[in-house]
Amino acid sequence: MKDTFIAEKDVDQKTVKIAARDVQVWYGDNHAIKDVNVDIEDKTVTAFIGPSGCGKSTFLRCINRMNDTIDICRVTGDIRIDGEDIYDRKVDPVQLRAKVGMVFQKPNPFPKSIYDNVAYGPRIHGLSRNKAELDEIVERALKRAAIWNEVKDRLTAPGTGLSGGQQQRLCIARAVATEPEVLLMDEPCSALDPIATAQVEELIDELRQNYSVVIVTHSMQQAARVSQKTAFFHLGHLVEFGETDKIFTAPEDERTESYITGRIG
Amino acid sequence: MPLFWLFIIVLVIALLGYFAGRMRVMQGAGGDRRNMHSLPSYYGGNVAIKGAAPALLLMLLWMLIQPFYVNYTVSNQIPDSAIADSSSRNLVLSEVRRTANGLDLAVQTGALTSDDANDAQANIADITAALKEAGAVLTSDITQPVLSAAQSYRSMNATGYTLMSVAVIIVAVLGVRWGLREARPEFRARNVVEQAVRWLLIAAASIAVLTTLGIVLSLVFNTIEFFRLYPAVDFFFGTNWAPSFSGRGGSSDLGVIPLLWGTFYISIVALAVAIPIGLFAAVYLSEYASHGVRSVAKPLLEILAGIPTIVYGLFALLTVGPLLVSVFGRDGLGIMQAGTAVVTAGLVMGIMLIPFVSSLSDDIINAVPQALRDGSYGLGATKSETIKQVVLPAALPGIVGAILLAASRAIGETMIVVLGAGAAARLSLNPFDAMTTVTAKIVSQLTGDADFASPEALVAFALGMTLFVITLALNIFALFIVRKYREQYD
Amino acid sequence: MSDASLTSGAAPTRAKKSLMAVDVRTRKRNAAEKRFRAYGIAAIVTGMFFLIVLAVSIVRSGLPAFSHTVVSVEFNLTEEQFADAESQLFKTKAYEALLIEEIRSALVARGLDVEFDSDAIARLLGKPGGTLREHYRANEQDLGQPVRFELAAASRVDGYLTGRVTRDTLQDSRFLQGSDLDLIDALVDADIITRAFNWNFIMGADTGVDNPGGAGIGASVIGSFFMMLVVLVLSLPIGVAASIYLEEFAPQNRFTDLIEVNISNLAAVPSIVFGILGLAVFIQFMQLPQSAPLVGGLVLTLMTLPTIIISTRASLKSVPPSIRDAALGVGASKMQAVFHHVLPLAMPGILTGTIIGLAQALGETAPLLLIGMVGFVARGYPDGVMSGFVDPNSAMPAQIYTWAARADASFYEKAWGGIIILLLFLLTMNIIAIILRRKFERRW
Repeated sequence: MKDTFIAEKDVDQKTVKIAARDVQVWYGDNHAIKDVNVDIEDKTVTAFIGPSGCGKSTFLRCINRMNDTIDICRVTGDIRIDGEDIYDRKVDPVQLRAKVGMVFQKPNPFPKSIYDNVAYGPRIHGLSRNKAELDEIVERALKRAAIWNEVKDRLTAPGTGLSGGQQQRLCIARAVATEPEVLLMDEPCSALDPIATAQVEELIDELRQNYSVVIVTHSMQQAARVSQKTAFFHLGHLVEFGETDKIFTAPEDERTESYITGRIG
Repeated sequence: MPLFWLFIIVLVIALLGYFAGRMRVMQGAGGDRRNMHSLPSYYGGNVAIKGAAPALLLMLLWMLIQPFYVNYTVSNQIPDSAIADSSSRNLVLSEVRRTANGLDLAVQTGALTSDDANDAQANIADITAALKEAGAVLTSDITQPVLSAAQSYRSMNATGYTLMSVAVIIVAVLGVRWGLREARPEFRARNVVEQAVRWLLIAAASIAVLTTLGIVLSLVFNTIEFFRLYPAVDFFFGTNWAPSFSGRGGSSDLGVIPLLWGTFYISIVALAVAIPIGLFAAVYLSEYASHGVRSVAKPLLEILAGIPTIVYGLFALLTVGPLLVSVFGRDGLGIMQAGTAVVTAGLVMGIMLIPFVSSLSDDIINAVPQALRDGSYGLGATKSETIKQVVLPAALPGIVGAILLAASRAIGETMIVVLGAGAAARLSLNPFDAMTTVTAKIVSQLTGDADFASPEALVAFALGMTLFVITLALNIFALFIVRKYREQYD
Repeated sequence: MSDASLTSGAAPTRAKKSLMAVDVRTRKRNAAEKRFRAYGIAAIVTGMFFLIVLAVSIVRSGLPAFSHTVVSVEFNLTEEQFADAESQLFKTKAYEALLIEEIRSALVARGLDVEFDSDAIARLLGKPGGTLREHYRANEQDLGQPVRFELAAASRVDGYLTGRVTRDTLQDSRFLQGSDLDLIDALVDADIITRAFNWNFIMGADTGVDNPGGAGIGASVIGSFFMMLVVLVLSLPIGVAASIYLEEFAPQNRFTDLIEVNISNLAAVPSIVFGILGLAVFIQFMQLPQSAPLVGGLVLTLMTLPTIIISTRASLKSVPPSIRDAALGVGASKMQAVFHHVLPLAMPGILTGTIIGLAQALGETAPLLLIGMVGFVARGYPDGVMSGFVDPNSAMPAQIYTWAARADASFYEKAWGGIIILLLFLLTMNIIAIILRRKFERRW
């Protein structure tokens, strides 16, 4: 089954969506991210892999400034999206996050109806002029998240009543409903069973057509299945970044190789 | 205090039993602890328990039963002719009891010898004079049947207490002997003692149930008594509250509706103050405030909860009331007559409830999982949008529970309304009018001079019953909601 | 994945916007955010404001209760004057005349000349003749020697000196007249009227309705003390025993549920209902004496128990199960494990909870009203320890209520002063609780 949807590798050169230069992150005294430089391309799935605590999630959360909500967290360096520094004082994190959506490790639907869950983002950002438009946005998002057929008859049912995999796809629908340009996914499948995981992975591959997707994952197989680019993090450093095939078949750094072959991690 | 001494005697017997038991088992085991099942102190403990427990239990039962028996017998002794038309057997009986107490007092102060007090042929005028000299409170002059009933009341009580003392001491001694017979090395004393301790623990835990039972019984019996004297329909649906102050005049209007209206009106004003302030304070403290601000502001707010209600009552009466009058009164807007009014009590009660609402809501808001907030921030929501549209709706059941608990507090609050709300029962919509509440009227009806058997006093129990039922329903409902909410995120 | 294919053509419709430019909607949303935050700050500030107003009005209105205006007169009564006064029909009147003479000569000696009569003295000092007579009847050895009397002045004199009553606001009444103010001024100039710390307020007992100046809170402090003793002696062991049972031994059954439900409900029953319980059960049914600290203590015990049980259970729960396992592992019985190991470890928490429960009970007023701890004047202090429990007495909050409910506004100052004393007690208890917690708090 895996083979059927390994993405065909795009050979043509993509534009750089996110560019990070010398990014450092401190949690209090703890230097969590050290000198990370990376270029993430548009319409590509980029996977961040690495052992627990290596900083991959932390770096992910820097991309939409989710770390702002943690008091003791400090970020320096330069992260640009479409050439604009997102840590510039003029940038409103609220606007940034509308552009850079995020899906979390554990499905976290709001205790509201399925419809309201998806409509939440469009409502706060004012994306629709009337109810009909909003209905359309919700339907489109649910379809894009490949959950429309399962929930179309019970849009008023609470989102918390869905199964784990459905909840996670609902959260993805919620994220894409705000029309983001980048989609960040923090171990989106770690709380799901294999079948639900397969559904979400298939969905990620579909999403690549419209978004730049960055996914943090613990599972190397998952990274290999869904991503075109892979970044390996270790102890806060970005050790190696490149084509997924190359990372998994011929890594340049021995730490990457040790991790891939299961000697560390 | 003969009872006190009897109690001490039983304890001394038990203590002696303790040492005797210890000694006996040590002898039985040949002085070697290792031959015994339990430690020696457990054998002593067993003896002491066997000595004290049955004796004290008997004492308790006796003291509960004797008054009933004596009252019953004495009440039968009173001839029907001695009961005046306007009176009842119960009233005469309480007269008898008062006279008996008066006789006790007179003997104690030396105004009467104990022989005189028991003399059936004694001159009533002399006795009355002696009682008055001793300072006993008598409502009317003593009649012959009352005096003789009082005398037999005294003698029966005295005999009863003597019999009880003898019986209790005998039971204690027998218990000790029983325990001593068991003081053999192979006896499992520890298990017995631990079982007894266990029962003691159960008894302590049962006090909560007994308290509730006591509340319910004391309310129910007196309420039934009240409804016998005053129609229940008039109480529940009467719109006029005007108790007569003449004591036993039957012309009182005791309708509860104006009191309930005052109670709810004041509570609503209080909640209108406390809910917005308390809720916004809780939101600010839990979502916005830095650690430093929180660690200062939260305890400061909670000081408001630790201040006794009498302080708030005084604050309402002497500070807030005059302040409001100076703004809304004759010199200001002219819509407020006096300092005691619904707004005064409501405002002050609201201040008292602020920390109540805020700390409960704070707990509940903190229980909302961080993942939900992250989800909302991740979509680009601002903090206030997240709070209004995600956190508060998620915490809503818990907050409703907290508000219900606060409402129950407001309804049951006494001192603030006694001092700050006024005394006139009134069905009015004007918040600047003085109104009164159920709790305030319970206080005024039970602290006045009215006879306890009159409807004017008994109505307080019916009011108490109403209050108890309302607050209990609110509490149970609130606890149910809060508990359900907790389960949702556990 | 059929529905996914339906949408694959749909591209994002929004035009790309620069992050650097904050759009109108975001600006509006940020304004809403600021407003919301301001509401929160406003709520906190309002709460603080109320707290400050409360504190200020307590301190400002209560402090005057701790000092009072005294008329200090040196008085020399000879044996003959004594005998003469005792032989008259209105004996106290005779003493009063002597006092007036004394004051007049004191004024004249300082060159101050003010006309006044015995009514004016009565308005200033109440009935000082009685005080003088009692002193000399009790201490005949003082006859013929100069004795300095410090007679408490009427509360309106206090009011004039503290600015509560001024010449403009004064309306002539039987309490104080305009001409009296001249006398007061003269007496102040002559150092006869001074202000002194009012020990009587702290040590004394309540007076009748017509002597606000002499009222003190001391007797009710003792009443409160005896009540708290009853509460402590009963509620601590019962509360701890009940908690041990519920936390360590109770099986999961209906009875346990019943107890649990009862405790959580009792914690929320209005205090006045406990007063009704006390009236019906302790006074009417068990015939215990009215107004006795014993009864008050019993009622407050029942009220405090739920608080103590809840906090005790929390501290028992915080002792880790490994301690119990360790004790059971060396062959202790369950009972021994609990009493030898768990209970001592939980003790600091239990004591903290108990002190907080006692502090609550100390300030509780409503139930005391129903068991008759108001509306009378306690005569003297209890004779002995036993009578302290059963003799009628008041308690601090009930005494404050009594003063607040009196028609004479001069008592209000006493009520505020009483509140300061009450709050000092509460503060002390809470500080002790906090220190206990800080000192013994243990994190497992």
